[in-house]
Amino acid sequence: MKLFISLNNKSRLYDYHDMGIDYYLIGTPYSFYTPHIFPIDEIKEMIISYPDCHFYVSLNGLYDQDKIDEIETYIDQLVDIHVTGILFQDFGVLQIVKDKGYHFDMMYAPETLNTNAQSIQTLSKYGITSAFLAHVISLEEQIQIKKEVSIPLMMFGHGVEYMAASKRKLVSNYKEASHKDFDDENLMIQDRSSKKKMHIFENDSSTLIFSEERLYTLDLFNQIKDMDYLYIETLFMDDYEAIEVASIYSDALNSFNYDRDVKALLALLYQMNKPLTRGFLFDNTVYKLEDVRKIDNEKRESNH
Amino acid sequence: MRNVSQIIDGKRQIIKKPELLAPAGNLEKLKIAIIYGADAVFIGGKEFSLRSQASNFTLDDILEAVEFANQYHAKIHVTCNIILHQDNLAGIKEYLQALDDIGVSAIIVADPYIMILAKEMNLKLEVHVSTQLSTLNSKAIQFYQNMGMDRVVLGREVTYDNLKDILNATDMDIEYFIHGAMCIHYSGRCMLSNYLALRDANRGGCSQSCRWYYDLYQDDTLLTKEDDMPFTMSSKDMALVNHIGELIELGVDSFKIEGRMKSLHYIATVVSTYRKLIDNYCEDPDHFTMDDFYTKELEKAANRALCHGFFYDHPGVNEQLYNIRDEHPTQEFVMRVVDYDEESHIATIEQRNYFKVGDKIEIFSPNHSNLFFTVKKIYNEDKEEVDVANHPMEILYIECDQYVTKNDMGRKVIR
Repeated sequence: MKLFISLNNKSRLYDYHDMGIDYYLIGTPYSFYTPHIFPIDEIKEMIISYPDCHFYVSLNGLYDQDKIDEIETYIDQLVDIHVTGILFQDFGVLQIVKDKGYHFDMMYAPETLNTNAQSIQTLSKYGITSAFLAHVISLEEQIQIKKEVSIPLMMFGHGVEYMAASKRKLVSNYKEASHKDFDDENLMIQDRSSKKKMHIFENDSSTLIFSEERLYTLDLFNQIKDMDYLYIETLFMDDYEAIEVASIYSDALNSFNYDRDVKALLALLYQMNKPLTRGFLFDNTVYKLEDVRKIDNEKRESNH
Repeated sequence: MRNVSQIIDGKRQIIKKPELLAPAGNLEKLKIAIIYGADAVFIGGKEFSLRSQASNFTLDDILEAVEFANQYHAKIHVTCNIILHQDNLAGIKEYLQALDDIGVSAIIVADPYIMILAKEMNLKLEVHVSTQLSTLNSKAIQFYQNMGMDRVVLGREVTYDNLKDILNATDMDIEYFIHGAMCIHYSGRCMLSNYLALRDANRGGCSQSCRWYYDLYQDDTLLTKEDDMPFTMSSKDMALVNHIGELIELGVDSFKIEGRMKSLHYIATVVSTYRKLIDNYCEDPDHFTMDDFYTKELEKAANRALCHGFFYDHPGVNEQLYNIRDEHPTQEFVMRVVDYDEESHIATIEQRNYFKVGDKIEIFSPNHSNLFFTVKKIYNEDKEEVDVANHPMEILYIECDQYVTKNDMGRKVIR
């Protein structure tokens, strides 16, 4: 298993590399979201400076028809600078790459959709070469999928979790409707029932929502060791947190005695005082009518 | 450009009329949708379908649906649009075979495994790519076309301009939403329900968390105080009633109405309105004039205020719902006509909601223009005169001087 990190700061590449991390997700102007947008020249420089590293770019938006030509031109540039792979969720991106006969590692990363082995296997016959598992499924399911799939898989390891994305300007629209004046920085919404807080922000094309809590898997390496990549999302992390988290996970991965060391590493993680969660790793969501009703009834009873 | 019209006898006529595709949550609604003019109806089975809270169809129901649809040369599409988890894989092959044997025209699918499975099984039915995959561009459509798919249902985020370019770039069958509720976030890419309610949106358990009220914070400071407008992401429903002519001229293959969980009255009203609008436009597109009849009809059944969705561009503040929910139909569905005796001018009706002598009723129908009458006399099944109709589904008899037909619907005018 290799660590795969979203790069938040070019100047920190040396530190990450020094920790032994050599898979990077690089933000572009066409990323769905990213901790940092890197101009193509900077990506090129990094690739030249770190020839033993693997640079993937995130072209993981859902693209309108009037953006497709731009995406195509951008992909042409990626060939010239020799990126390793593209993280995508719009099959339009894959089709462009196939049409042009380019050979990137095409990692299918649709946030919510990679939830069973058969579908990933099916898509591997149509051009995807690796896949990022949905984190809306349990650990058990993710491990089972890994056993049944023949292409490399990435698992979400640590960081704030994607919740939703809208093409609507949800913050701007609310601001206009409510006549409220506030900065767009550090906004959070809180569900009045569960009290869960989530980051909300707008970028050029979307409004995005992320959990405040960071999913963590530091103490689960014995179960997930067969995964090909473990992803660290640095969105909403400052430099210190990103480096610390990367370092802790790297130490865990490189430990000769993981079972002994993990307790101390977990303690370091807790010391950072950031909200942590297991996400859906040990939770089962429901969808059948009878189960939905059962949950609703339980919620009603607990409110009385 | 898709060829949608030609000059016949000196007059331009539409030769490519779009399919009108309606939703139905049960057999009664399905039959009404077809009677009121739907060319096709999409329904959910008991398995593998989103909208777990709609009263979905058994295989026997689907067989009855297909047999009924065949009488009207209509088609049945079945949604198999859940995103499969490991424990949902069993039984899918047998289910697809059963749907094909029954004579279902198409399945609507979001999971690639089901797409390819259906094709590998050499089924007669078509495979349509669900809107759950949020397809927004012609390159993605090309991908699905290469997989052998028969139709793509576009994401609701596709604007008119982008739709035009998409249709110019592909010969794939394209389905486009014209009416109904909208996901606030990209369909299929939303985890809010999973996160906040532990209900899996991509397997039919969506709790519609996007329509809830939230508190808004900046860092730790609460921005939405007690009396403030709460933060919500909720949207008005989409109605492209004023753009149907433009969409027909583009050559869209299918117009989709959303709402498998909507009422009988809603489905009858919406299908009927768009049926009349499409037919009137296609009959003489160059002399068609839009009047406000169609919009007013839709408003009578609207659950929420209506808007144009993404037709022009990003929906603005006027397309969203804040603390004013505006969920007030202007009329209330009170009866369905079962029979009419021309000699006695007595209509046999099935009561659906409370009404009484003196109420003004509007009758609408797939067979004639809307008409109004005031309820003068109501009789129960024992032919006793009663003043009020207050037992749902009770068979009653009312005096009605105007000719009505079986399956006409009556609404009480409430404002």
